[in-house]
Amino acid sequence: MPIVVNLDVMMAKRKMSLNELSEKVGLTLSNLSILKTGKAKAIRFSTLEAICKVLDCQPADILEYREG
Amino acid sequence: MKITTQQMMNILQVLAWIIFVGVCIEAGGFIFNTFFTLAINPIDAGHFWPGVDLSGLYGWDRGYFIIETVLMCIVAILRCWIFWLIVKLLHDKKLDLYQPFNKEMGRFITRISWLALLTGLFSWWGAKYAEWFVQRGVKMPELQYLRIGGADVWLFMGVILYVIAQIFKRGIEIQSENELTV
Repeated sequence: MPIVVNLDVMMAKRKMSLNELSEKVGLTLSNLSILKTGKAKAIRFSTLEAICKVLDCQPADILEYREG
Repeated sequence: MKITTQQMMNILQVLAWIIFVGVCIEAGGFIFNTFFTLAINPIDAGHFWPGVDLSGLYGWDRGYFIIETVLMCIVAILRCWIFWLIVKLLHDKKLDLYQPFNKEMGRFITRISWLALLTGLFSWWGAKYAEWFVQRGVKMPELQYLRIGGADVWLFMGVILYVIAQIFKRGIEIQSENELTV
């Protein structure tokens, strides 16, 4: 899929662990893992909103379109 | 007393096993009697199966006897296959009522639909042959005794199941998308 999830990059920038993010966002670890590994097929606006709020970033910092 | 879905499934499993054993005996009988008649004793054509006297056909033409019995055997084997798949599905507990749209169920319905279509096709072929023999003055038993009756029902079931299988495919996609939505 040409949509790349850069969640791990943002997490590294904010020095936040997956457990911490999971607690703050209110998502299960398995769902966050699906998102982080790029297996997710869709993301809810509410989830994106919560992640952006916790990581203090924009949706474009997390999602990226890459050709090929 | 309320019958639960699980109890219903158990009853269906027992019924499927009984029918499967029955159709297996029938298919085995047809195959054995075909070989026995052709290779050992032609008189066996007279009492091929309860209610099935194929001595007229055997006496008229041995080749057509082979064609008709092979068609009967194919239909019987296909029926065995269908019931084997049903028994296997119920026995392996692959029918998940909480998440029914899984790949296993999709494959099951597609296979059953193809098998039903094939059963209908071969039954229709055998029935048309039997009609043709009767027109030529050959004494033939009723189609229901030859176990090749109801071709239209099999074809109808095959088409309906094929349509359901296509809808199921979409259901699997939607369920997988739903599971992978974060």
